[in-house]
Amino acid sequence: MTLAFLNLTWPTFANGLALGGVYALMAVGIGLVFGVLRLVNFAYGQLIMAGAFALAYGSQWGFPNWASILFCFGVVLGLSILMDWLVFRPLRTHSPAVMLVATFAVAFLLQNIALLAFGPLGKSAGSLAILNAPWDVGGVFIKKIAVISVATAAGCLVILQLLLTRTPLGLHMRAASMDFRTARLLGVRANRVISGAVIISGLFAAVSAVMLSVQELTVVPAFGTQDTILVLAGVVLGGLNRPVPATLGGFAIGFANGILGGVLPSNQSQYLPSFLFAAVIVVLLVRPDGLFTRARGSVERV
Amino acid sequence: MSVVRRIPELLVPAVLILGTALLGLEVSSYLQAYFLDTLVKVAIVVALYVFIGNSGVLSFGHISFVALGAWTAGVLTVPRDQKLAIMPGLSHFLVVHNVGNIASLALAAAVGGAFALVVGLPLMRLSGLAAGIATFGVLEITNNVLTYDQSIGPGLNAFSSVPSTTGIWQAAIAALISAAVAYLYQRTRFGRMLRATREDPAAAAAAGISIYRQRLLAFTVSGALAGLAGGIYVHLQPLQAGGLSLNLTFITLAMLVVGGSGSLLGAVVGALALNGLFSFFSAATNTVDVFGWNLTVPSGTAELALGLLMAIVLILRPSGLTGGRELSLPRRRAVADLEKARATT
Amino acid sequence: MSALVVERLSVRYGAVEAVRGLSLEVRPGEIVGLIGPNGAGKSSTLHAIMGAVPVSGGAVRYDGRSLLSRRPEDVARRGIALVPEGRRIFGELTVEENLRLGLAARRARRNGGGLARAYELFPVLRDFRTRQAGVLSGGQQQQLAIGRALAADPDVLLLDEPSLGLAPKIVDVVFEALTQIREAGLAVLLVEQRAQRTVALADRSYVLANGELRLTLGPEDAGDTDRLVAAYLA
Repeated sequence: MTLAFLNLTWPTFANGLALGGVYALMAVGIGLVFGVLRLVNFAYGQLIMAGAFALAYGSQWGFPNWASILFCFGVVLGLSILMDWLVFRPLRTHSPAVMLVATFAVAFLLQNIALLAFGPLGKSAGSLAILNAPWDVGGVFIKKIAVISVATAAGCLVILQLLLTRTPLGLHMRAASMDFRTARLLGVRANRVISGAVIISGLFAAVSAVMLSVQELTVVPAFGTQDTILVLAGVVLGGLNRPVPATLGGFAIGFANGILGGVLPSNQSQYLPSFLFAAVIVVLLVRPDGLFTRARGSVERV
Repeated sequence: MSVVRRIPELLVPAVLILGTALLGLEVSSYLQAYFLDTLVKVAIVVALYVFIGNSGVLSFGHISFVALGAWTAGVLTVPRDQKLAIMPGLSHFLVVHNVGNIASLALAAAVGGAFALVVGLPLMRLSGLAAGIATFGVLEITNNVLTYDQSIGPGLNAFSSVPSTTGIWQAAIAALISAAVAYLYQRTRFGRMLRATREDPAAAAAAGISIYRQRLLAFTVSGALAGLAGGIYVHLQPLQAGGLSLNLTFITLAMLVVGGSGSLLGAVVGALALNGLFSFFSAATNTVDVFGWNLTVPSGTAELALGLLMAIVLILRPSGLTGGRELSLPRRRAVADLEKARATT
Repeated sequence: MSALVVERLSVRYGAVEAVRGLSLEVRPGEIVGLIGPNGAGKSSTLHAIMGAVPVSGGAVRYDGRSLLSRRPEDVARRGIALVPEGRRIFGELTVEENLRLGLAARRARRNGGGLARAYELFPVLRDFRTRQAGVLSGGQQQQLAIGRALAADPDVLLLDEPSLGLAPKIVDVVFEALTQIREAGLAVLLVEQRAQRTVALADRSYVLANGELRLTLGPEDAGDTDRLVAAYLA
C-alpha cells in the first residue's frame, strides 16, 4: 500500500477526479428518480450504454461532434421517457423489491437488445476520442477529458442545485421526495414532478454517456453496467434519499476507483472491485442509512 | 389432517421434476443437454426460493454460493495428473486431495452453507435496499476472487477436466433433494416463523421471533442447497467464473419471480417454464424445426425473450404466475371462510 | 354562490365502512364543524373530498361540478385546501419554502393569497421565515400549516384536527384565526375533537359516529353538555 501511494501522480489524481465527477452525476440521476418514485433504477447503466452507442454511430455516420452529442441526448432522453411510461409508472404502487427486480429485467433486456443489434465486439467512441489528448498544465500533462469531465460535472451539479432551490419545480420535487402524499394534497402535480425527475435523470445519463465513452474508448453492450453497480453502491453508501450525500457517495466511489486503478500494480488492481465492495459492505453494516447522513430513521417507506 | 392436506405442496413439484427427468431420458442426447440444464436450474431456483420466498428479502448474492459449490466440487475431482496442467497456480493442499463424486457434492453443499453462514452473520442484520446492495457486493467480490485467484481454481479459464458425472438421474435427485429440503424447512416451526416475519415484521418481532436468527437459518440452508446445485452444475459442463455471475443471477431471479416467489411450486414452475423457453430459443440459434418450419434466431434472443417476459409479468402480475399460492387439497368451506374473516379483521 | 356539497358519501376500506351515506353542505362565509369520537369517519370524509381515498358511493360537488375521481392535486387546484392531521409540514424545508409549496395550488389569474396572506394572519411566520420548519414549536407548525393552505388562496378550507396536541393558549390563536378566515368569506369545514369549542364557533356542527350523521347542533347548543355527551355515546 505504501508503494501504491508513491505512485500517485497528478494525472492519476485528475483521472480519479474525472471518474468521480461522472459517478457523481450518475448518483444524482439515480437519486432523483428514487426520491420521487422510491425506485432504484438498475437500468440506468443501459441508458448510458444507449447514449454511448448513439455517439459511436453518430461519428461513424460522419456527424459533426455537436450533432453526435445531440443525437446521444435525444436517444437517452427518449429512452428515459419510454422507460418511465412503460415501466416506472405502472409499477409505482409496488414494493421497492419488485421495482428493483423489474428494472433489473429492463437492464437485462436492453443489454441483450444491444447485443442483438450491435454485436458483442463493440464500437469506438469515434471522433471524440481526441479529447484523450493531454493538456500541458504547468508541466503536468493532464488529459483534456479529465478537465472537461470535472468542469461539466461541477457545472451540472450547480445548475441542478439552482433548479432545486430557486424554482417552483425544484421545490415541488424536493417536497415530493420527502412526503409525496402531502405534496399532492397541496396541489403539487405528481406527473409533472415525476417527469421532471426522469428528464433531469436522463439528461445526466446522456452527459455521463459522453464523458464515459471518451474515458473508456470502447462501447460494448455491457457498457455502463459495472459503473452503475459501483454508483449504486456509492449512492447507498452516501444515503439514498439525500441528494447531497448520495452525490458525495457516488463521487467517493468513482474517485477511489479512478485513483486506486491508477496507482495499484495490476496484480492488486485486479482485486479492486473486491476492495470497493468490501468497503461498501462494512459501511452498510456500520451505518445502514449511509455514511454522509446524520443518524436518523430509515429512509425507506413501508 | 393438515399433513395430508399439505402433501400436494411437495408432491406436485416432485412429479414435475420427475416428469422432466423421464422426458429427458426419452429424447436424443442432443436435446437431453437442455433437460439436464433445466434440472440444474430447478435446483438453483429452489435454493433461492428457500431464502427469498420465505423471508421476502431480496438476495443478489446466491449465485456466489453456487459458484463456490462448483469450485469446491470441481477442484476436488479433477484427476490429480491433470490438475496442474489446467490450474498451474493451484495450492498444494488442493493438488494432493481428491474425493469421489458423491463426497464432492456433499462438500459443495457444506462449503456453500458455511459461506452463506459466514456472510449472513453480518449481512442478515440489514434489510431492504441495504441488504440488496450488500448481497450484490458479495456476488461481485466472490466473482472477482474466483476470476483472479489461481490458487483455488482455474481463474479466468473454464473448469475443464471435471468428470461429467451429472446425468439425468443425478440431476433429478439433486433437484428433488432441494425441493424436499425446501418443503421440510417451510413446514418446520422455523420456516413458519420466518414466513410470519415476511408478512408482518413488527407483529412477528412483538411475538418474540428473532428476525435476524430466522433469516440467518434460511440463508444458510439456501446457501447449502445453492452449493449442491453448483456441484451438480460443474459435473455437467465446464464452467467459467464469468458465467456464474450477473447473468445467472438475473436468469434465476427471473425464474423465481415469474413463477411466483411466494411458493415452492412457483419456484419449480418458473424454472421449468422459463428454462424451457430459454432452451427453445437457444436451440433456435442453430435452427429448430417448428411444425415443419425451420426457425433460426440470432443469439441473444433467448435472453431478450426472458427479459421481456419478466418485465411483463412483473408489471401485470407482480406476484408471479402461480400467485404465490401452494397447491393444496380443498378445505372445508366453513374453515376457510372463518380464516378469511379472521384475516380481514 | 358556490358551495361544497357532500351527498350520501360512502367510503369503505375493504370490509370496513368508514363513512356511510353522509350528506352536508358548506357555504362561503361559514364554518361547519364535524365532531365525533375517534374512528367516526371524520378524517375519511376530508380525504374523500380531496380525492385521496377512493369513494364507494355518493357525490362530492363544488361549484356545481363533481370532484369525484379527481386526483388530489386537481382538487387542490380547484380551490379546496386541506390542513392535514398532524400538520404535515416539511421539517427540512424553511418556513418560507413551506409557504411557497402552498402556492402550488394557486390558480392562474388570481392575485389573492400568497405569502403575504399567511404573514398577515400569523406574524410569527414572518419572523421565522428563513428557519427550518422542523425547529418550530407545535403551535407555530400549526400556524404554518394553515398559512400554507391559505397561500393557495382557496375558497374552501378543510381542517383536520388543528388543535391536536396544542396548549390551550395556542388553541385560542388557531380558533381566532378561523374566525378571521370565515370573515374573509371562505367556506370552512372543521374536523375537531374539542367538541364544545367547535360547536360554539361553528355555524352548524354535525356529530358523526360510526360513519353516520347522528346529530346537527347550532352554536346555541354549546352549553348543552348533556346533549353532546348523549350524541357521543349513542
